[in-house]
Amino acid sequence: MRFLLINHVQNAQQSLRSSRIRSTLTMLGVTIGISSITAILALSGGANKIVGDQIDSLGGNIAVIRPGGTIDPLSNITKNQSNHDYATSTLTEADVTTVKSVPNVQMVAPLMVLSGTIRGDSTAPSGSQIVATTPSLADISNLNMREGQFLDNALKKDSVVIGNQLSINLFGTEASTGRILKLRGDDFTVVGVLKRQNNPYNYNSVDFDNAAIVSFAAGKGLNQNITQIQQINIRTDSVSNLDPTVESIQKAVSVNHKGENDFSVLTGNKISQPTSQLFVTIAGGSTAIAAISLLVGGIGIMNIMLVTVAERTREIGIRKALGASNADITWQFLIESLAISVSGGITGYIFGYIVAFTISSFLTFDPVINWQIAAVALTISLIMGTIFGLYPATRAASKDPVESLYQYN
Amino acid sequence: MSDTKTPPVIKLRNLKKRFGIGDAEHFAINGIDLTIRRGEFIAIMGPSGCGKTTMMNILGLLDRSFDGDYELDGKPVKGMTRRKQARIRSQQIGFVFQSFNLIPRLNLLENVALPLIYKGITKTKRLEIASNMLRNFHLNEREYYMPHQLSGGQVQRVAIARALVNEPSIILADEPTGNLDSRASHIIMEELSNLHKRGNTIIMVTHNPRLTTYASRVITMLDGQIETDNNLAANPPSRRGRKKDSTKTKGKKK
Ligand SMILES: Nc1ncnc2c1ncn2[C@@H]1O[C@H](COP(=O)(O)OP(=O)(O)OP(=O)(O)O)[C@@H](O)[C@H]1O
Ligand SMILES: [Mg+2]
Repeated sequence: MRFLLINHVQNAQQSLRSSRIRSTLTMLGVTIGISSITAILALSGGANKIVGDQIDSLGGNIAVIRPGGTIDPLSNITKNQSNHDYATSTLTEADVTTVKSVPNVQMVAPLMVLSGTIRGDSTAPSGSQIVATTPSLADISNLNMREGQFLDNALKKDSVVIGNQLSINLFGTEASTGRILKLRGDDFTVVGVLKRQNNPYNYNSVDFDNAAIVSFAAGKGLNQNITQIQQINIRTDSVSNLDPTVESIQKAVSVNHKGENDFSVLTGNKISQPTSQLFVTIAGGSTAIAAISLLVGGIGIMNIMLVTVAERTREIGIRKALGASNADITWQFLIESLAISVSGGITGYIFGYIVAFTISSFLTFDPVINWQIAAVALTISLIMGTIFGLYPATRAASKDPVESLYQYN
Repeated sequence: MSDTKTPPVIKLRNLKKRFGIGDAEHFAINGIDLTIRRGEFIAIMGPSGCGKTTMMNILGLLDRSFDGDYELDGKPVKGMTRRKQARIRSQQIGFVFQSFNLIPRLNLLENVALPLIYKGITKTKRLEIASNMLRNFHLNEREYYMPHQLSGGQVQRVAIARALVNEPSIILADEPTGNLDSRASHIIMEELSNLHKRGNTIIMVTHNPRLTTYASRVITMLDGQIETDNNLAANPPSRRGRKKDSTKTKGKKK
């Protein structure tokens, strides 16, 4: 049997080579589909990796609480973290207080991300965000100042720290300390400008280069006194204490939530989830392209295989007369369709990486290359070849040998 | 009439093959009783349309839908699974069809090696055996030709080479010399004759009465029935020529 498979593969190679243009055109659908999937996975993997690297570089003692139950890691690829604008958070100020009182917790910084107009000399572009938090954020997330100072508890409520790019967008300069800007119509004084981060994909899901950071109380004031905490960042006093502390936090917050599993305490790689709007668009768009081209490609394979079977009716008759069983004939044609889909898949995999690297040259991270993506591409190709090749192959096998032998064509 | 020393390989009892239904119904084979023993060389003759090819298809287990009984090596064919029948075709039977024998997209070597695939022989070994076989038929320098680059007679020789490559014990040849001149025909007949001498059973359809000299038994068919059945091995060789001529011109009831 193993030997017969080798033979079928050789036969398929030969048959595909003899109708090269036809096979190439048939492969195209699979190629496009697989390359979209490869590009999505490589880029989202790259985004995840860069966030993971950040967390590692922060010292390995960071934990994050997010609203909602624990998310299935597989859905990371397609599903993105809920959009800040619409999310109703289950996290409260009481939770922040509770976490602060857990032993070994060194710092706590809640994040309340708001949208809204930011206006200086000119109006900031729509991607800019208003973030309300506590002074600890600077330490937890490694935010360094270009000038001025970060928030601290002694400052007046109408103080704001702005990102480097936002400063340029609002005032045409990186040096804007002391200037006045309007957040949702209220006046705030710039007390500091952050150093350029160049890091739009991070575990805070905030592009700090384009953010205005205000105190938590001020943020509440801007939001009709409603707290809306998207995330609570926590730093423990040591790496070895992280795991036990996370457990204590889990328990303590759970009491606040009356045992409801509507929040998750995340550490390490689980924190990383890319949330760039651009990324969501690209991923969504290419998933749709992938699905459609895989379907069209599959139908193309089926069509070509049916034509091939019809063309080779006499060959099937001869082969049966010479001792081929129905299973032999089924395998022969199934392997031929698998050869088309797998060649298409391999081409698509390579092409997908070309696309991913091209796109990533406009982004701040590189695509990842790992065996999982290769495995996904290969598996999808194999499934395609099987699903769309099985019917033509069984049709070939069920042909009557005598009728096949004496068919005119 | 038949040689009783060797065991029967093929046994047909009241074999019938019907085509069409209702008014269009007609019997291409209409009640054939026949016993073929191991080592016989049978020549089947008869006018066009008398059912020779139809019978060969049944004998070769290609046609499963017939009435009557067919026993191969003492086992009824009707009780066998398709897989079992495929295995018998692969291991015991060698086929030469009346026309369109070769697979057009494969070269000669690959065509001849084809039956060996289903016997589970490795590629290098396959090509080696096929190459030797082609040499026997003086086609070795055309191994890599495609079928459309050959003359009709050459195609037929390749087809016979392919039928023999498996070393089958039963060879079914439907007009193997149909397109060949007398010299080429005799090359093929010598090859079949050698196989016959080595103890193989050969069943050959032919329209050429001169070729029946190689056979041990000549059967003539008419309208789906056996008309004459002459076992030449039982007769003195000197009488063969005359006998053939008579079967050719007019049917002779035995
Ligand atoms: N698939 C079929 N459907 C209907 N009738 C058929 C079919 N195949 C063969 N026949 C009929 O069966 C009869 C016998 O055909 P067969 O091919 O066996 O003849 P033959 O003896 O081989 O003739 P020839 O010497 O010309 O090859 C013919 O009348 C033919 O029309
Ligand atoms: Mg015929």
